[in-house]
Amino acid sequence: MTRDTQDHDTERPAAGALETRRSSAGALGGISRREFLALMGASMALASGLEGCVRKPPREVVSWDYAPEYQEPGKVLHFASTWMDGGYPYGLLVTAVDGRPIKIEGNPEHPVGGASSNMAMQAAILGLYDPGRMRRPLGAADWSEADKRVRESLEKAKSGVVLTRATLGESERALMAEFIGRYPALRHFVFEPVNDAARRRAWEAIYGQPGEWLPRYDKARVILSVGCDFLGSDGVELEATGQFASRGFTEAPVSTIPQMTRLYVAESAVSLTGTNADHRLRIRPSQALDLLRAIRKGVAGQDMAADAERLGLDAGLLKALTSDLKGAGNKALVVAGSQHPGSAHAAAALLNHDLGAVGETLLWNPKPAALRADEASTIAAELEKGVDILICLGVDPAADWPGGRFDRFIGKARFSVAHAVFPNATTVLCSVALPSLHLLECWNDAAPRHGLRSLCQPVIRPLLDARQEAVSLLAWMGRETPPGAEAGDEPRFREYVRRRWTREILAGEPDPEQAFKETLRVGVHGAPAAAEPPAFEAAAAEALAAGTSAAGGIEVTFQPHYGVYDGRFAPLAWLLEAPDPVTKQMWGNAAQIGRRLADELGVSDGDFIRLSQGDRSVELPAAVTPGAADGVVALTLGMGRAHPVLADRKVGCNVSALLPEAGRVAVGVAAAKASGFEQLVFSQPTFSMHGRPLALDGTLDLYRENPLFVRERLHDLKETSLFPAMDYSTPPQWGMAIDLSRCTGCSACVVACQAENNVAVVGREECANGREMHWIRVDQYRSGDPENPVFHHQPLPCQQCENAPCESVCPVAATSHNKEGLNDMVYNRCIGTRYCSNNCPYKVRRFNFYNWQKRWLRDDNQKLMANPNVTVRQIGVMEKCTFCIQRINAARFRAANEKRKLAAGEIQTACQQACPAKAIVFGSLSPTEGKEPTPVARLHASPRRYALLEELQTRPRVAYLARLRNPNPAAATSGGKTGERE
Amino acid sequence: MSPSDSRPAEATRRLLPFALLPTRPSLRELDDAINRPIESFPTRRWWMLFLATASLTGLYLLCVGVTILEGVGTWGVNNPVGWGFAITNLVFWIGIGHAGTLISAILFLLRQHWRTAIARSAEAMTLFAVACAAQFPLLHTGRPWLAAYWMVPYPNHNSIWVNFRSPLEWDVFAISTYGLVSLLFWYTGLIPDLAVARDRARHPLRRLVYGLLSLGWTGSQRAWQHYEKAYLLFAGLATPLVLSVHSVISFDFAVAILPGWHSTIFPPFFVVGAIFSGFAMVLLLIVIMRKMFRLEQIITDNHLNAMNKIMLATSLMMGFSYVVELFIAWYSGVLYERYVFLNRMLGPYAWTYWLMITGNVLVPQLLWFQRFRRNSWVLYPIVLAVIVGMWMERFVIIVTSLHRDFLPSAWGFYVPTWVDLGLLFGSFGLFLTLFLLFVRLLPAISGAELKGAALQPLVVDGGRHE
Repeated sequence: MTRDTQDHDTERPAAGALETRRSSAGALGGISRREFLALMGASMALASGLEGCVRKPPREVVSWDYAPEYQEPGKVLHFASTWMDGGYPYGLLVTAVDGRPIKIEGNPEHPVGGASSNMAMQAAILGLYDPGRMRRPLGAADWSEADKRVRESLEKAKSGVVLTRATLGESERALMAEFIGRYPALRHFVFEPVNDAARRRAWEAIYGQPGEWLPRYDKARVILSVGCDFLGSDGVELEATGQFASRGFTEAPVSTIPQMTRLYVAESAVSLTGTNADHRLRIRPSQALDLLRAIRKGVAGQDMAADAERLGLDAGLLKALTSDLKGAGNKALVVAGSQHPGSAHAAAALLNHDLGAVGETLLWNPKPAALRADEASTIAAELEKGVDILICLGVDPAADWPGGRFDRFIGKARFSVAHAVFPNATTVLCSVALPSLHLLECWNDAAPRHGLRSLCQPVIRPLLDARQEAVSLLAWMGRETPPGAEAGDEPRFREYVRRRWTREILAGEPDPEQAFKETLRVGVHGAPAAAEPPAFEAAAAEALAAGTSAAGGIEVTFQPHYGVYDGRFAPLAWLLEAPDPVTKQMWGNAAQIGRRLADELGVSDGDFIRLSQGDRSVELPAAVTPGAADGVVALTLGMGRAHPVLADRKVGCNVSALLPEAGRVAVGVAAAKASGFEQLVFSQPTFSMHGRPLALDGTLDLYRENPLFVRERLHDLKETSLFPAMDYSTPPQWGMAIDLSRCTGCSACVVACQAENNVAVVGREECANGREMHWIRVDQYRSGDPENPVFHHQPLPCQQCENAPCESVCPVAATSHNKEGLNDMVYNRCIGTRYCSNNCPYKVRRFNFYNWQKRWLRDDNQKLMANPNVTVRQIGVMEKCTFCIQRINAARFRAANEKRKLAAGEIQTACQQACPAKAIVFGSLSPTEGKEPTPVARLHASPRRYALLEELQTRPRVAYLARLRNPNPAAATSGGKTGERE
Repeated sequence: MSPSDSRPAEATRRLLPFALLPTRPSLRELDDAINRPIESFPTRRWWMLFLATASLTGLYLLCVGVTILEGVGTWGVNNPVGWGFAITNLVFWIGIGHAGTLISAILFLLRQHWRTAIARSAEAMTLFAVACAAQFPLLHTGRPWLAAYWMVPYPNHNSIWVNFRSPLEWDVFAISTYGLVSLLFWYTGLIPDLAVARDRARHPLRRLVYGLLSLGWTGSQRAWQHYEKAYLLFAGLATPLVLSVHSVISFDFAVAILPGWHSTIFPPFFVVGAIFSGFAMVLLLIVIMRKMFRLEQIITDNHLNAMNKIMLATSLMMGFSYVVELFIAWYSGVLYERYVFLNRMLGPYAWTYWLMITGNVLVPQLLWFQRFRRNSWVLYPIVLAVIVGMWMERFVIIVTSLHRDFLPSAWGFYVPTWVDLGLLFGSFGLFLTLFLLFVRLLPAISGAELKGAALQPLVVDGGRHE
């Protein structure tokens, strides 16, 4: 095994294994075995009279002759861990091959989110090997000098501020408390540009104790979301999606009447949740409180006509919504978005109490996973005074600060430290900038829910000269390595976590050490525990809800980006290249405005607009987004992050200069057309189905009347062929089913596929050229009212047609069918005529117009990221979805080695595994040995099943299940009609 | 003249619409006129033209280099428009070649002796057009270094065979057969004239080269007998190729399931279009050639007239095909098919469609007037319009069908890059360079056939055969 010395993964152990490995280097007192052999060989060559020239090998070669017993070359290992980077600590299952992590999945053992994952989790691998990571301390020669300077400042400091994210690990929180105890002049603040502090604070006021309500979307029959993007970025979205996706619908036997949850969304911009609504009400952000109060009045039986008039909503729809909620009673659920002020949350709480939802569709969690963020104004008040030391741990306030201009605070601080994985706006300004470790190199722990704990373990030794923030805190406290532990950075915090667990958390176990190891293996400990809901102080809620919302001018809402969130994932190209699930914009952000505002301003897609409020302003391109409320601009946070070295990393526009200090709604904003134009990149040129039967849907009522309604939308063609039919009788016969009713459009599948299949990134320019490489895409169509359309999401992998049009046209037979029904792609044979792509009616084939991999390769580390079981494609060849054939084969070999047949559902494609909605089901269509139809075969037999473009007789192996919508029949006359096409 | 001679003369009279050589030059005068270009020093006009075309060829080579070294990413092709200028150029150039074969083979078999004066240059044009065309299918692949031989069914130790179901594979055979037969046919016809060039040569090097090329032609009765037989055979072989090659090329599209491609009308439609564009190109070239080498006595206005009639006829057929396409799209009731044709006429590429209609159907209507058919100054703009129109037709078929097909989510747009444009204009440079070299190095008019015509006692007062 020849490896660069930097490849710590080969010469050092996967630390999570708690094993010590010895390499042969050092065994001969400084001369490695290979060096010894090389010297021997050279001296023999000299001895034999040859004119030998001993050249030192350019790389040190280290053999792995004392490998740990679990490690075999090429063997895939999985390590359980915890997702500490996002807003919520989901479980992770990290796949590592030969010591290098290559893929992240959700941890199936984790009760929250389970095996599913989101885009950012999938893209985390990319961050680990990113060549743009900070490599060494800046502002100090090395770590020891940096530590010395920080400690000196800390000792002298009479005032100081530590800024962290809300998602500190449990042990990190304990350590932070100790740190503050050691340096009492310091104050710890939680800084989150996207936070739910207003909601949490409102609940604290109402219930008299900290905690949070956990909505149960699976228990609710009628859901009203007032600006709450619970399927996207507000709350525990994986769990919410899992609970919501089925919508209580089962393909029931004919005798029973199928039921379905109904979702109303009242929002200003279009969110992912809004695209899944049965009825979407467009309101200005300032109207949220008013709407909630009006509905509460309606639930109490009062007339709402005047409210509807004032809110500009259809009175019939509002009445229908109210009676629907009332009818659902304790099966109703009202959630309000975290961007809204406390008054709206108080109103929502009152409504939930009125309906009886509390305790039924809302469960109390006394121990939220994340800390409550502090208000920016509170932090600013402290910093305004000028502190002696400012420590930014994992936060980038210089880029994220509401209103911008955080540099003045750094300027006022006598000494400033930034600790971050990637260099960012803050690290550039601080006195000392220190590189942090990546999630996959860290120890950590979390308490995702009351009663549930999880561990985060490193899967690879640090690739760079970086250090975990917690280790820095230990170092700055002068804490030495605990006695009995080996020296070094990594064990310091590992020991801290281990001791905390074995002495406190697992103290009750018979063998705490063993229990700790077991928790490491499984990833989680305990289970979510029920908690008694706190006493409801209705008067406090009434008082809070009685407030008024500021309104006026243009109202601006701020949403985190669906990929890069608040900007913390901004360097990860996969998240930038994955089209936004709602707007389908790639590589950038834009001010989303409705058609009416666009006409008022005289702008169209790409024209710059200027938004200003007092002395704050931003200029960015506009994007006309159907569905945005009138007089509202929706801005996306997290973009426009600069990298000090890699200039091409700056994508989009940073809008935090306009972000208010509390909440994420700015009112009284002036908008005007500005000079400038930028060609925005969208993955789709049009969102109309052009009257074609593509993403089919129907209402629940229609389905009840006629479960076979889908067939009537399609041509019934007699199949004819000149060729003899291929024999597809031998099992297994691979197939897939995609339930459009479940799919929320979140696009985790897109990034999961990219991570699994070494799918290349092509960059903004090439995306604009239409050369993106995604093997699965999520198509979006909009129908109905152009100002408030109905949204359709349709994931589209290769359809694996039985009569594949791509196959017959390839002159060199580089794509051909196998007997298991897969359309195989032979990269070696492909000469790249692109004829197959032209003839593919689904346009799912992707061509390597350039050597994409080489174009993006800046660092040898990046090569470690590739999945070794998937060919890295070279220039000039076609590629496409293979149904993760490497996973099929791995399972096939595993089954053969174990001398058994493949079990149904044993193989999961990457997209299926990631999907939080379980919309994608893969497997063999042939019945199991017991003649039972497999899950995928059952779905293929669903009455809602259809094949895309089936009149072409391509006979796809992917079946779509038409989407069912559940609009309120009582509101049929208003804006929420579904299922219609132009 | 004996009475027995009058019968062939009468037959010839019936076959000839006009006098081939109205000025009745002597055989020596004919030889002088035909061999002047290859025996005189190039004129300044030739050099200027040659420099222009050679620089375009240089551009072509540069773009080929960029394409191979950087990848086809340097072109405007994308997903969904997998084929762009390259395949447009392929179909265009193959089409250009068709006129040459039609003139030399079909008109020969049909005893259209007026073809004599233009047959040689038209055939040469065929060869050069095929040479240009054949490069594009290779260049447009992602890995031309492998495509160059993987498309050929050769026995190999992996037992990997090509896919005979693919129309691209049929193209390999169609184009290579066409190129080979055209070359042999053209060369066979050249042999007697090469011998004349050899016999007239003063410089030993010229004598050697033309001597080698004329394969020891003696002009004996026996040699003529073999020659005539071979020529007839090749004409017979080449004739079906005129119909088959472009039919096969059209299968690239007709066999696909893409709306706008999947059409049974394509084979005859493509063949007619090929002849149409080919005649336009022949006219363009011979009008330049006769001006440059003062060959007005040999290539007469009567020739232009006859060729223009064929152009007019094919233009009408093209117009008819366009109407039929639209009718079928409407009549089929297929959503996708209808959209493609509406999109062609009204979509973002509508201007290419209307340019195609203008060049191929509207402008050629001027040819109803004999005044225009005989006037080389009016012909220039007409044939240029036809050439542009026919190139646009291939572009319309390829790009407008691809850019908006079945799923609107996957629609895209195609914009050529400088490499695309360089390859297009560069291929014209290559074609014209080869043609300019041809007229300087080889006898561009079939002297042997013309002399046969000159010996006929012609009394045709031709030119008014309307």
